Amino acid sequence: MKAWLNFSPEIVNQAVISDLIKNFDITFNILKANITPKGGEMLIEIRGNQAQDGIEFLEGQGINLTPAKRVVKKDEEKCVDCGACVSLCPVSAITIDEGWKVELDDQKCIGCGFCTSSCPTRAIKLVD
Amino acid sequence: MKSIEEINQKIKDGDAVVVTAADMTRIVRDIGAEKAAKEVDVVTTGTFGAMCSSGAFLNFGHSDPPIKMARTYLNGVEAYSGLAAVDAYIGATQPHRDPKVGLEYGGSHLIEDLVRGEEVELLAEAYGTDCYPLKDIHTHIKLDDLNQAVMVNPRNSYQNYAAATNSSEETLHTYLGTLLPGMGNVTYSSAGELSPLLNDPFFETIGLGSRIFLCGTEGYILGEGTQHSTEVKRINGVPVGSAGTLMLKGDLKKMDVEFLRGATMPFYGPTLYVGVGIPIPVLNPKIAQQTGISDEEIKCLVYDYGVSRRSRPTILETNYHELKSGSVEIDGHEIQTSPMSSHRKASQVAEKLKDWIEGGTFLLTQPVEKVPSKGQTVKPLHIKRPSILVRDLKSSEPITTNPQDNINDVARLMVENNINHVPVVDNNGKLMGIVTSWDIAQAVAKEVQELTQVMTKKVIVAMEDEPVELIARRIDKYEISGVPIVDRDNLVKGMITAEDISRLVCSHQDKRGGY
Ligand code: SF4
Ligand code: SF4
Repeated sequence: MKAWLNFSPEIVNQAVISDLIKNFDITFNILKANITPKGGEMLIEIRGNQAQDGIEFLEGQGINLTPAKRVVKKDEEKCVDCGACVSLCPVSAITIDEGWKVELDDQKCIGCGFCTSSCPTRAIKLVD
Repeated sequence: MKSIEEINQKIKDGDAVVVTAADMTRIVRDIGAEKAAKEVDVVTTGTFGAMCSSGAFLNFGHSDPPIKMARTYLNGVEAYSGLAAVDAYIGATQPHRDPKVGLEYGGSHLIEDLVRGEEVELLAEAYGTDCYPLKDIHTHIKLDDLNQAVMVNPRNSYQNYAAATNSSEETLHTYLGTLLPGMGNVTYSSAGELSPLLNDPFFETIGLGSRIFLCGTEGYILGEGTQHSTEVKRINGVPVGSAGTLMLKGDLKKMDVEFLRGATMPFYGPTLYVGVGIPIPVLNPKIAQQTGISDEEIKCLVYDYGVSRRSRPTILETNYHELKSGSVEIDGHEIQTSPMSSHRKASQVAEKLKDWIEGGTFLLTQPVEKVPSKGQTVKPLHIKRPSILVRDLKSSEPITTNPQDNINDVARLMVENNINHVPVVDNNGKLMGIVTSWDIAQAVAKEVQELTQVMTKKVIVAMEDEPVELIARRIDKYEISGVPIVDRDNLVKGMITAEDISRLVCSHQDKRGGY
């Protein structure tokens, strides 16, 4: 799953993430991070047999976890299917179907924002 | 073999066979051009891409008291009003007057808002005349309120166009979209086999008066567009790069936002997505053959936009079949492509035009004058500002010294002539080095006797036939105060210093009365 982690200031200095990786059978990916001494947030992807246990561990450590359903939203009315965004996506979340319609896969998207800033009709917006 | 009149009769009778250019490619492949020419009457084409050279003439009607608009703003975007009192032309790429809005809302967005039927703010300023006393207007209008709103696009529907990639280390924002560093992607813009002018590559059926599909309604070709060019490289009969263009006209009031959209190329500016479809009458087998062209047969060159010269290096010759597959191979790497123009909308344009013709509501027209198919080239702009050359600068006889000269004599030479640089030359007058007053001071302080020990041997020079601007940049770049002037044989002709250049700039400003 993909989720936003919200850290409180006390947690920033603790080795929560390394404990998580050491103690649980998971694959863990940091997709986006914004951490300051005053706390921070991180978009992570967590997978594997013990993913659920890992999530519980994080919550137990005082990290607020909100599942990220979608990180970007494409406004179908605004989108003209020009495809400008397709070649910019680092994880191939944007594809063109046989009818030349441009599709965005929420599940693959990591919210990097390349497509949002390059869409000529401003059809893609980052959402939390 | 067939005439436009005959085809129109079939259209009226509901008997015309109309296919899209994509279907025609398959038909010609299957049954050949001869048979296809007999069976098919009209081929419809389509494209939906960013076309910057677009805009509309608007007539606002007269107010009471009347005004002769000198400056006009619609939702903060200036429309050119150097026309009669209440006419203006809104250009698609005009940015918003407020720099904070800037490129995010421009002429193209305004045009879309008008077509959507939205109310827009009209601000007009005037200097006031006896017959047009009013000096400003602030009101709101809708498209319906205008007397006329006529789209007139000086350059649309490029015949073919380059593709782009970027070898540099920075992300580039161009009119062909965002180009990732290190050749991270390739962008292209033509609709390939569906594109109107690739289906009639020698303009045999189209010209002034051809009725077409323009942004969801009927429009017309006014003739060739600006920068129309015919003397280009062709493969399989079609140009490999930008070539022919069209000037188009249509009634904005009847247009549909499905086929017209305001947009902004990021960090580049506003542009208008325009849907254009042209019906090609299949008059003979040659035309059938041409409309049967396939994506594989239409070549396209990928240029490196990471090099900012007018002639950019070509990275790859490819074709639209490859480009449309989603990736091309460059140096063994698979590079993703982005179309930039909507193939989905392009097909919708071709389909819609097909429906109109099949439904008998759209008849073909015989052009009054065809779009020129030869002798058209695009000239570059030469900047006509004569450069002042180094040799044009008045310079007195060069003051030089020889390597065997005494340091004290060189010091005296500098003081007497009030100069800070002296070129060191051999017995033939050829440049060996340069000494400055600073070098001499050092030599005296360190009790050095030999001039060759203190002179700079690697000398930055100015050639007699170089423009002075170039020397100014060189002096600035190397942080020096002057350079010797030499001819092709390295013979010293004089000195040019930063002071000479500033004096020159000042005297020029006097003559021109300032910049
Ligand atoms: S760049 Fe924007 S308009 Fe073009 S396909 Fe992507 S989302 Fe749609
Ligand atoms: S935000 Fe990034 S990852 Fe998500 S779709 Fe856009 S380019 Fe792809």
